[in-house]
Amino acid sequence: MRRILLADADAFYVAVARAVDPDGAGKATLLIVGGSRESRGVVCSASYETRKFGVRSAMPIARALRLCPDATCVPVPFKECIRKSAEIRKALQQYTPAVEGASIDEWYLDLSGTEGIYHHEPLLATARRIREGIRAATGLTLSIGGGTNKLIAKMAVDRAKPSRGGEGILIIEPGSEQDFLRSSSLADIPLVGPKFQARLAARGLVTVADALRYDRESLGQWMSKREEQWLWNRIHGSDDADVVHRTMNRGISRDETFGKDLSHDTDIERELLRLVTRAAADMRGDGLTARTVAVRLRDWDFKTRSAQRTLPEPVVSDRVILRVAHDLLASLRKARRVPARLVGVRLSGLAPAERLSQLPLETSDVETERDRGLTRAIDRVREKFGRKSILPGGITE
Amino acid sequence: MKFTITREQLQEGLAAVAAAIPAKTTLPVLANVLVEASKQGGGLRLSGTDLDIAVSTTVPAEVDADGAVTLPAKKLIDIARELPSGPVRVTAAGEARVSIESGRSKFKLLGLPREEFPSFPAVKFEKAWKAAAGVVHKLVGHVAFAASTEESRPILNGVLWELRPDRMRMVATNGHRLAKMDVPATGGSTADLIVPPKALEQIRRLYAGDAEIELAKSDNHIGFRAGGTLVYSRLIEGPYPNYEQVIPRENDKQATVDKAAMAAALRRMSVVASDQTHRIRLAFAGGNVKFSVQTPDLGEAQDELAVTYEGEPLEIGFNAMYLLEILKYMPTDEVRITFKAPERAATIEPVGWNDPASYMALVMPLRLVD
Repeated sequence: MRRILLADADAFYVAVARAVDPDGAGKATLLIVGGSRESRGVVCSASYETRKFGVRSAMPIARALRLCPDATCVPVPFKECIRKSAEIRKALQQYTPAVEGASIDEWYLDLSGTEGIYHHEPLLATARRIREGIRAATGLTLSIGGGTNKLIAKMAVDRAKPSRGGEGILIIEPGSEQDFLRSSSLADIPLVGPKFQARLAARGLVTVADALRYDRESLGQWMSKREEQWLWNRIHGSDDADVVHRTMNRGISRDETFGKDLSHDTDIERELLRLVTRAAADMRGDGLTARTVAVRLRDWDFKTRSAQRTLPEPVVSDRVILRVAHDLLASLRKARRVPARLVGVRLSGLAPAERLSQLPLETSDVETERDRGLTRAIDRVREKFGRKSILPGGITE
Repeated sequence: MKFTITREQLQEGLAAVAAAIPAKTTLPVLANVLVEASKQGGGLRLSGTDLDIAVSTTVPAEVDADGAVTLPAKKLIDIARELPSGPVRVTAAGEARVSIESGRSKFKLLGLPREEFPSFPAVKFEKAWKAAAGVVHKLVGHVAFAASTEESRPILNGVLWELRPDRMRMVATNGHRLAKMDVPATGGSTADLIVPPKALEQIRRLYAGDAEIELAKSDNHIGFRAGGTLVYSRLIEGPYPNYEQVIPRENDKQATVDKAAMAAALRRMSVVASDQTHRIRLAFAGGNVKFSVQTPDLGEAQDELAVTYEGEPLEIGFNAMYLLEILKYMPTDEVRITFKAPERAATIEPVGWNDPASYMALVMPLRLVD
């Protein structure tokens, strides 16, 4: 029997923003984290009081302010958030070595096999102990959901959150998963999005109990085989995914919401060049290489599109990464050439750079020794004279 | 369908096909073994596949009525293992259901209709190449290890098998190190096949060294046949990289070393080498090679070995794991290593190998300074 917890930091960005700026954000009840009042960015997080006005994450700040004009707006304290997230993770690892970061403010914990360590106390008591411990160590409050797998833990934490009227902790005891699921709606299941919900609702399926009335064959008539299998497993509470201990950063992303929408390809390309230069330098600074380059483009109407390419070998140089990013951007622009409000780049498939010291049998046609040598030289100049001492011609002012 | 077979023969046949049957599959019929009884065929044909590889074998059985069915492989193997020694009677009991009886033990086992079982690739053996299984085992055993296990270049996941009128050659590489072996052959035509190592492993497992293997290909499959046992595999689509051009011809420095002593020193050094690169430094000069390793945040180590070395002094870095692996497959006690420069490929060959085959491996160095 597995014992899985999902710990979710309550209003993480809001809590960190308040801790960073106790006199400003710290005193504002109505607080929006995402950018200044004039910013064209989106809401990253909002205080519970603000959410009562209808403010939600990913909503443009301008719209959020129309709903809640008195709110205080502050930018996202990124560095502090990353530091705090690492602090919480480290503190959670005191309780079990199997900690998987699901996002910056959510962690799965696998406590299977730790029964003896906690003197066979109920999982609820351990969860309380963890919540208290993290509050004492970091000053932040967690909501915790628990059960026999990740799905149940995730659904439980959603119900445990104070913003949903929960008490901060909800453990679904082994054997009571079915009752818990029956009391949930299909929309509560992670990854059942609005479109799928609408399709299910059209068949009269709104709650999990509605769906449980049908056998697989009936469900199969209304959706693809894959969806049917997936939904069947979810409504029966089955999820055998493991809590994976990840040490390596999964990706490095940099994006930029423009001051005003950009229509010309050259303008967007310049922003992309700036972002790639930053992302690639940060990646090398961490001693990493990337295999996959992705570009994200958000059009004026908030339609967000992305494209990615995985290379046959790991790369580090600006030239190669930029060439790939440039092609990806061109294909996105070709598909829909309208004013854009945001462009972003993401480097993933990261691996330690020291592996590059292995020489290949064939000379590479992706990234040459010359590319790498040039990159090393640029990094050395920047190390000595500052980040902006040497930049691609396209972004010098 | 109705037949009688000894428990031992049933077990033998099932053991041959079991390795091709996937442990986990999304297609239920793949977890089954196809059982075909035929009076004319003179026995029982058992087949299994994971769609990449298929294995099919015939075992003697007394067939009273022809028929075919697929049965859950794992359950059938477990039953065959637990039955007492003696004749086993298998009778169809309705569609996709059989009864199995031996002594006082009786089983009824549910299967799936044979129509659901994937058909085998159409490989024709009329113009097959022929090779002694022992020779193929030798090629596979010395070369297949060097194939890549990464997904980035699927072509390198295969072993190149060159068939020529006068020789057979296998080559495998992961882009950093390479192994190549030639054996003389007679007759036969020319072909280049890129075969998944998994299929070659099956050949090593299924065919005894003294058997003669027939080898034939269709557009994208290869088939092997010896005795009553057939192996089919998907071929990897080429072309294979031009490996000839990376094999150095101008290496002017050479060391002759004792394989066991070298491997022992490498293993000692690799204890403190980096987990990521396994980087060690070798310095050849005069009658000596000095090993050294320095890993930040961990420590350092040195060792020394007497060797026969001809050429200018040389310092070169390697992934210790690559060298150890190659040494493991070298068939002689002494090996010759040749070099050109610290950033050029080194070759490793057996010394004094009394065998008609010719064998060599090569490995690219690690950069010593960034």
